[in-house]
Amino acid sequence: MPTVDVDPDELRELTGHADTDDEQLRSDLFDLGLEYEGETDDGNFELEFAPDRLDRLSVEGIARSLRYQYGDDRGVYLPSMNDAEWTIRVEGTPEERPYVTGAVVRGLDLDEHSLDSLIQLQEKLHATMGRQRAKGAIGVHDLTMLKGGDVEPESDQSSGPAGDGDPTDVADPSPSLRSDSAPVQVSKSIRYTGIDPESERFVPLESDQEMTPADVLEDHHIGVEYADLVESMDRVPAIYDSIGLFSFPPVINGRRTEVTSDSRDLFIEMTGTDQWTIDHMLSIVCYALDARGGTIEAVTVEYADDAPGKHAGRSLVRPDFETKTKTVAHDRIETMLGVDLDQQDVADLAERAGLEASAPQDEADAYDIEIPPYRVDVMHPVDVIDDLGRAYGFNTLEPRYPDVSTVGGRHDRSRLENATRDVLVGLGFEDLLNFYMISEAHNYERLGVDPGSDVVGGGDPVTIQEPYSEDYTMLRSWALPSLMLVLENNTHRSYPQDLAEIGLAAEVDASENTNVAEHRTVAGVVARYDASYEDAKARLQGIAANFDTTLATPPTDHPTFIDGRTATIELDGERVGVVGEVHPEVLVEYDLEVPVAAFEFRLDALE
Amino acid sequence: MRLPHAQVAILEAADANEARRIEAVAAEADLKPETATGAAFALEAEGLVTLSEETVESAELTEEGRQYLDEELPELRFYRAAIEAGADDSPAQMGQVIGEAGLDGEAVDIALSNFARKGYGHIDSGEVTADSDADPDADPEAAALAALDAGNAADSDVLDRLEQRNLIERTETTVRSLRLTDDGVTALMEGVAVAETVGQVTPELLTAGEWRDVEFAEYNVEADAEDVRTGKKHVLRQQAENVTDVLVGMGFQEMQGPTVDADFWINDCLFMPQDHPARNHWDRFALSRPSQIDELPEDLVERVEAAHREGVGPDGEGYHSPWDLDFAKALALRGHTTSMTARHLSGEAMGDLEPPQRFFSIEKAYRNDTLDATHLLEFFQIEGWVMAEDLSVRDLMGTFEEFYAQFGITDLQFKPHYNPYTEPSFELFGRHPETGELIEIGNSGIFRPEMLDPLGVDCDVMAWGLALERLLMLVTGAEDIRDVHGTLVDLDFLRNEEVLY
Repeated sequence: MPTVDVDPDELRELTGHADTDDEQLRSDLFDLGLEYEGETDDGNFELEFAPDRLDRLSVEGIARSLRYQYGDDRGVYLPSMNDAEWTIRVEGTPEERPYVTGAVVRGLDLDEHSLDSLIQLQEKLHATMGRQRAKGAIGVHDLTMLKGGDVEPESDQSSGPAGDGDPTDVADPSPSLRSDSAPVQVSKSIRYTGIDPESERFVPLESDQEMTPADVLEDHHIGVEYADLVESMDRVPAIYDSIGLFSFPPVINGRRTEVTSDSRDLFIEMTGTDQWTIDHMLSIVCYALDARGGTIEAVTVEYADDAPGKHAGRSLVRPDFETKTKTVAHDRIETMLGVDLDQQDVADLAERAGLEASAPQDEADAYDIEIPPYRVDVMHPVDVIDDLGRAYGFNTLEPRYPDVSTVGGRHDRSRLENATRDVLVGLGFEDLLNFYMISEAHNYERLGVDPGSDVVGGGDPVTIQEPYSEDYTMLRSWALPSLMLVLENNTHRSYPQDLAEIGLAAEVDASENTNVAEHRTVAGVVARYDASYEDAKARLQGIAANFDTTLATPPTDHPTFIDGRTATIELDGERVGVVGEVHPEVLVEYDLEVPVAAFEFRLDALE
Repeated sequence: MRLPHAQVAILEAADANEARRIEAVAAEADLKPETATGAAFALEAEGLVTLSEETVESAELTEEGRQYLDEELPELRFYRAAIEAGADDSPAQMGQVIGEAGLDGEAVDIALSNFARKGYGHIDSGEVTADSDADPDADPEAAALAALDAGNAADSDVLDRLEQRNLIERTETTVRSLRLTDDGVTALMEGVAVAETVGQVTPELLTAGEWRDVEFAEYNVEADAEDVRTGKKHVLRQQAENVTDVLVGMGFQEMQGPTVDADFWINDCLFMPQDHPARNHWDRFALSRPSQIDELPEDLVERVEAAHREGVGPDGEGYHSPWDLDFAKALALRGHTTSMTARHLSGEAMGDLEPPQRFFSIEKAYRNDTLDATHLLEFFQIEGWVMAEDLSVRDLMGTFEEFYAQFGITDLQFKPHYNPYTEPSFELFGRHPETGELIEIGNSGIFRPEMLDPLGVDCDVMAWGLALERLLMLVTGAEDIRDVHGTLVDLDFLRNEEVLY
């Protein structure tokens, strides 16, 4: 789960509760679902949290949640926003990464702490919503280092949005600009595009050399880390201002626009594979900077008519601080929380959760609940009910045992397994519980069995794509290999060692829907100085008799066992397994100095 | 007549004219007193001897009494010191006398009080006067101590006094004496032989009735016997059985389902977005062979995809993530047993289910995570769910309180949490039965509409899960789970581990 490092003093300052002691603060944070994991070297709280409330990835966001919890803030808050001065022109972008969004934030007074917090927020958003930058990547720039190129008043600015666009997503790019008496402002723009990775040079962050994007992917440590995101692209994402290339998203920014604690005005851009995702990442960042005293200024995103993605030819005004609404039935709130509430209670809970509930209309008895744009986790009315429950305090609810009557019982298979295990234990076997994952070497080779051969244990291996280690590359096709491993690991323990296991065995089988045949297998070994075929057979007889099945053991060959001392296990006429004396070659392979007799058969044969 | 060896020896040592103490007879017959007593009772039952009992009082010196026997009673030492100090002529300083007598601590009080009581002199205002006529060598208490030590009797009044002073301990014992009856005499005259001693009860002995005439050789019943190997269920399996008992008792029915399953059942049906970090190939065990499931129920696939893309209900929203059928059909080892829950809720496992229902399973789940003392690549997941109309968070809490109480875990706390497929969701914390710590004991919630709606469920379902291994570690205090589950297990651990019940 994600963690976030937070300076407790900053948190106190931002919440306006300077006198909250550490312990109280930790307890308040726990109530928010932020678990205190420990302290970092520089005295910050390390907090762990579930990855739903991504708006709490920064000290500013956590402070906002605390202020709602303390009752200092209520209802929906929307930052004020100035009109757009800057435009991002989108043209010739790689179709693998078609989307961009942006905002300008002015008047910040960044100190080292708030800069760290911004960087952390950026990293954490990359790791979560941004899916390691693949889905969304953030670039923050010092606005004063950008030079907006002169943009002629183009035709698409006056024509406005075309097509069947979603009206909430698409806004006329410049209503206020057109009404503005000083149209000089229009001329500031940057350009998001795609370029040949070897065509242009810039000085990336953490470097003082001019490099092409291709050089960065090859030689810059950050470039190497994120190379796989752009490797398959012919043209890589690039952002230009009128001076030139200044950012190579999603990999690295240029050094020219690097943000320092002296930066007061920021340009934030985000690129990605999904507009909704980057727009919401942007809202979260803007809310955090608003809390730091910054003034948010809109940016116009202009997609060229031939830009890839679904916004071609449209202009968007970003950040999008539009709230959304979910309709939540009063009755559903009550049944889910298990408490009676009146309308006032619901309205109050909503406000304390940073939401706003309209009074139910007419007979509907349902609330329209308004949700602020930083809440990326609210997908359904049920999420609103969860918020109301948290505001109510789930832990204050009185548990009650549900008045629901059902009849319990075990599955037939597990009853059979349990009864068989009882018989095995009665025969003196130590019941084992081994891993079902194993390696080819252990499952086949060491026992002399060929994969895909027609003997017990020779089933086609079900193999794992990316094994944890070379010891766990497949599902075992029989259980005897596991028992042999336990014998091998316990040669220093006293004999006799009579071991048994009932568990899973699996093999490839094209006749199954999953193409895998799974069954429960029963395996036993008798390891003692005088163990012989008869010991295994005797125990098999005991098992067969207990399940009233007829056992026959016609001779057979099996590479794991000694010829002439190996038999097929037939139960009620069906061939279900093998019994025999383990071959000395196998015993030596497992460093055993005692003979071993063994059997293995399908559990369902006892049904 | 044939009698066991001990009875013959007692009979021969007994006297017809005089009742003899059993201890004396035993010593003469060279038997242990308890063996002799047993034999005497047997002979009495045969009418060959009569037994009589009397209660005898005996007294033994306590540690303190033994000390005074060696060192002389404190009051006598005090008297002798007083005489030495001339207190028979003129009063002597008490402190000086105590010092001369070498008394300190409690012994001072003992000396002073008994000195006066016994008339050795008196003490007034810190001055000691000694009676020159007194004779410490004739002190009856000192004499009684010496007499008891020598095994002789002593005057009962003096013994009372010594008992009060805690210098002796008096006990009452029952002493048995035996005497030959006329029948006993007759039997001896007719001849009594020692019956045969046998080592083992044999079928012949029993069927021929010879057991009546034989004596069984005594065993050293305290000696350790040879070890017997007991087979037993694996300790983790025992824990699984206990949990099963509890859940079946609470009305839960057991589920079964495939270990290898399509990601559709493992994740898509649970409203896990396809680009969720946990669905990365390196976090799960995707199969290389076979790689895909053949068939998925088409209409269900459609509904699940729609839920992912658009959400459910008029206000629903989907994920802003890609959704691909091939990805859904990919096979993997199930990352949680909730894949079985999805199969059951959809009707795929056992047909459509009508509420109310309770289901559980304790089966393995597989995670490509770190392998360490508390994490395994494959572990048993306890999974349970309740399907009913209008379930509330309170019902969920009530159910879990009941469940965890069965394992001694109380004081449940519900930390609001996030899971992609439940809302509300809670991490469960409980009080450790032994250490009292607050510990995480599971994850729970009410399934989201985006999960239930495509599966065709139109009532509420609450669910929870936890690792069986974790519960075992809590209950038994096991510290490294790798020593318990898997081929690295130490057989002696399994052999010696206490059974769970």
